[in-house]
Amino acid sequence: MASGISSRPRASRNAGARLAELQEFIEHEANLLDEQRFDEWLKLFADDGVYWVPARPGQESPLTHVSLFYDDKPTLKIRVERLKHPKIHSQVPRSKTVRLVSNFRLGPPTGAPAEHCVSSKFVLLEDRPGVERRLFGGRYTHRLRVVPGGLRIVSKRVDLTNCDQFFPSLTQPF
Amino acid sequence: MSNFSNEYLRGLVLEDRVHRSIYTDPAIFELEIERIFGRVWLYVGHQSQVPNPGDFFCTTLARQPVVLSRDREGAIHVLFNRCGHRGARVLSEECGNARVFTCMYHGWSFQPNGELAGVPMRRDFPAETLVDPQFGMVRLPRVESYRGFVFASLNPHVKPLAEYLGEAIRGIDELVDRAPEGDVELWAGCHRYEYRGNWKLQFENMADMYHPAAAHASTVGPDGRQFKRRSGGTGGDAPFFAANGEAVVAQTGVRGFQGGHSSEASLFREEQAGGVWDEYRALLVAKHGEERTREILRNRRHSMTIFPSVDILIAQTSVRVIRPVAVDRTEVQVYPVRLKGAPAQISIDVIRFVNITHAAASFIQSDDLEAFERSSQGLATSGTDWVLVARGLGSEVDEGNGVSFGDRSSEVGQRAQHYAWRDLMSVG
Repeated sequence: MASGISSRPRASRNAGARLAELQEFIEHEANLLDEQRFDEWLKLFADDGVYWVPARPGQESPLTHVSLFYDDKPTLKIRVERLKHPKIHSQVPRSKTVRLVSNFRLGPPTGAPAEHCVSSKFVLLEDRPGVERRLFGGRYTHRLRVVPGGLRIVSKRVDLTNCDQFFPSLTQPF
Repeated sequence: MSNFSNEYLRGLVLEDRVHRSIYTDPAIFELEIERIFGRVWLYVGHQSQVPNPGDFFCTTLARQPVVLSRDREGAIHVLFNRCGHRGARVLSEECGNARVFTCMYHGWSFQPNGELAGVPMRRDFPAETLVDPQFGMVRLPRVESYRGFVFASLNPHVKPLAEYLGEAIRGIDELVDRAPEGDVELWAGCHRYEYRGNWKLQFENMADMYHPAAAHASTVGPDGRQFKRRSGGTGGDAPFFAANGEAVVAQTGVRGFQGGHSSEASLFREEQAGGVWDEYRALLVAKHGEERTREILRNRRHSMTIFPSVDILIAQTSVRVIRPVAVDRTEVQVYPVRLKGAPAQISIDVIRFVNITHAAASFIQSDDLEAFERSSQGLATSGTDWVLVARGLGSEVDEGNGVSFGDRSSEVGQRAQHYAWRDLMSVG
């Protein structure tokens, strides 16, 4: 209700506007992945950005335990080149995916004035002809940096509910 | 009891081909569990997975749940993960530490060495039943270790482990010798992948130097080099194609060993060098001298595959464990290895590189998993019954001690696996 929103304190209003902006960015990112626009997805990452999918619940570090994905930007670039390669056999035929993202929450504070942490929950459905339907779910934690003209991903952490179980071949980033 | 005669089973593996039913027939799979997995040495885990008294690590051998444990005196045991009372599986976490292992069903508890520790309302049982060791957590008939790698066998009459490994034991040495302290540690958890296919597809793949040009085509960049798959200023990546257009890996040699083990020559020519690698090398030189260090660091083997349970990945500094689940289902775990005494950065780099080579989401493994599943689909066709393993047949060199060498990505390693399979399966 409009009256309810206008009565909220300024800080909260600003946080609400900020969250809406971050949410829109994350939904845009999910859409790029669903549409397999991987080059554009890659460009969302800051040059020092990382994409991390731990292999253990609550994993504290990617340096002392294996991860399903732990890609710095150069590695992510190789991944994207491979996803576009005509001979990526595990994508013949290609997967179709849909991601639903919700429960967006701001915080905790990052300590950097131009960087924001936002968590969300997602469900990812992956279909590929001839392969059993796959369903994944979990939590995204994005650290996003405000840059001229938009936002960049400083880190994207994906905590899958089944991260410590056996996986079939995975090609689609979560 | 088998529905197959020994002669029939023997006929499923010829010199240059194998029958497709060995990948697809559930009855043959059941017989493999008995005659292969029930007869030979199987890798259980590494001693570093149970460093302290009371530590346990659960896995499966021949589909049976077992526990690797360390008792109060520091001795290592391999127990069936089964309560001595009514048979429930006792431990359900994969690993942990406990003073005693307690069954959830009626509260019986067991020492980490398998002995019965506690029985609620004990006096209502006839006293003599509770002293019988078969009502504890029973130990596997045979357990032996080599340089921290623990193996067990369900067969009380299995030959000694060193004899079973034969020349393949050198693969374990090659990995462990690279640790300045002469010991390794599985410290960083493991990758876990599974596929809809027979376990032998993974084993053959580990001796297969012929497939990368086609199967891993998407890992080669526009400059003709494969992505860098291990750390170091030099010695980390390699050109994918030779001057004549063949894949470099397809020109490397393979060895097949008596007992079904196999090994591929290393893809790398140069020592890993630069930065922390120089520091690491200096540690080895200080301990062993220059000549021995050069010998230790020589790029000799890419991996050593020990039939039918484990692959020692030397170039990638890790250990891969293969567990059959069903005729068409296999689970695999890949553990990065820490070389004890080496600079910490080396172990961190191993983790990072194994993420991109052997995770379910990695650049290499995802191609192989696709190949395993497509093989399963293709092998279900009835047009022909035979699967060819003839590459390099007739040009092997007998190196003695049960080792056969074949150059140019010979299928000699796969043949060694199949011949071992035949010899085990055709004895009733």
